[in-house]
Amino acid sequence: MLWWVVFMSEFMRLDAQAPATLGAVVEAVTRLSTLSEAKILELVSAGKIAELFPFKPANAQAIPADTVAEDELAEASALPLSRKQRDALIDSSLPAAAKKKSRAFSKG
Amino acid sequence: MTAGDALWWDARLGPKHAPMATRADRFWSWSVLLALCHVVQRAKRRYCRPLVIWARTDHGRFLRVGMSILIEDYPYLDVAHPGDAHFVWFMSAADAGVLTNEFGLSHPPALARVLLDNAIILSQNAGFKGRMGLHAAVAGGDVLPKVYERCGLLTLPRAAELPPQVRRLNDGRYFYADEAVAEALAAALDASR
Repeated sequence: MLWWVVFMSEFMRLDAQAPATLGAVVEAVTRLSTLSEAKILELVSAGKIAELFPFKPANAQAIPADTVAEDELAEASALPLSRKQRDALIDSSLPAAAKKKSRAFSKG
Repeated sequence: MTAGDALWWDARLGPKHAPMATRADRFWSWSVLLALCHVVQRAKRRYCRPLVIWARTDHGRFLRVGMSILIEDYPYLDVAHPGDAHFVWFMSAADAGVLTNEFGLSHPPALARVLLDNAIILSQNAGFKGRMGLHAAVAGGDVLPKVYERCGLLTLPRAAELPPQVRRLNDGRYFYADEAVAEALAAALDASR
């Protein structure tokens, strides 16, 4: 559950260069989850989803190269995923945060 | 599909698609969609499977040409045969002209069929016998339903009820594959697997 809270805290507000509050994201998700998938599709296609979900993923990253070599491709599994694989998939949907360096013990 | 794939699509293909008024996906931001779909479906206790289709360019390297987000374990749209299915929530195929003229892919594949095939295969492997459904975005006008008809999907009659969990009135733009249609569509692509 903690992992899920962390995921939802990884958003920025669209209209400001500031992190979205977790409460605001949860509220928007709760509201969206009352809508049908077709309604959300309609809002997204009309360019109106920001009215209900005014957030974007935090941690901007560089745009990947246009093409990759065949040996760089990883084929998606056509089989049902385990819970661990699903969690990893969701994790990869947000740009990776810069890894924090942990401080080592002093040797002096 | 990773955040990088979504970012690439938004940055490199999004601006090319945006002026194409007939495209239902002209305003879609995959970077936002990818995260949003996961959180909304988790709130409904379901999972999404975002997928990318890659195609070989004339130079032998691989390029992103299709994107989709499926919902696993979604109610089967034909209420006369209650059960589970997969639902194609969002899917985009790159414009063939853009692929040819700007990315060096002379022979773009029939992407709609491949994108639907992904859903059918995942559904078959999940034990749902290939059953899948989708809603043709209203922004796709009259053209989009014809695309799905040409792909071989069944139209859910406008008078048909929808499963209660779908929480939507039937506007006549729902399409689906039953077991027989799914098997026929999958078999048609078996040679290229």
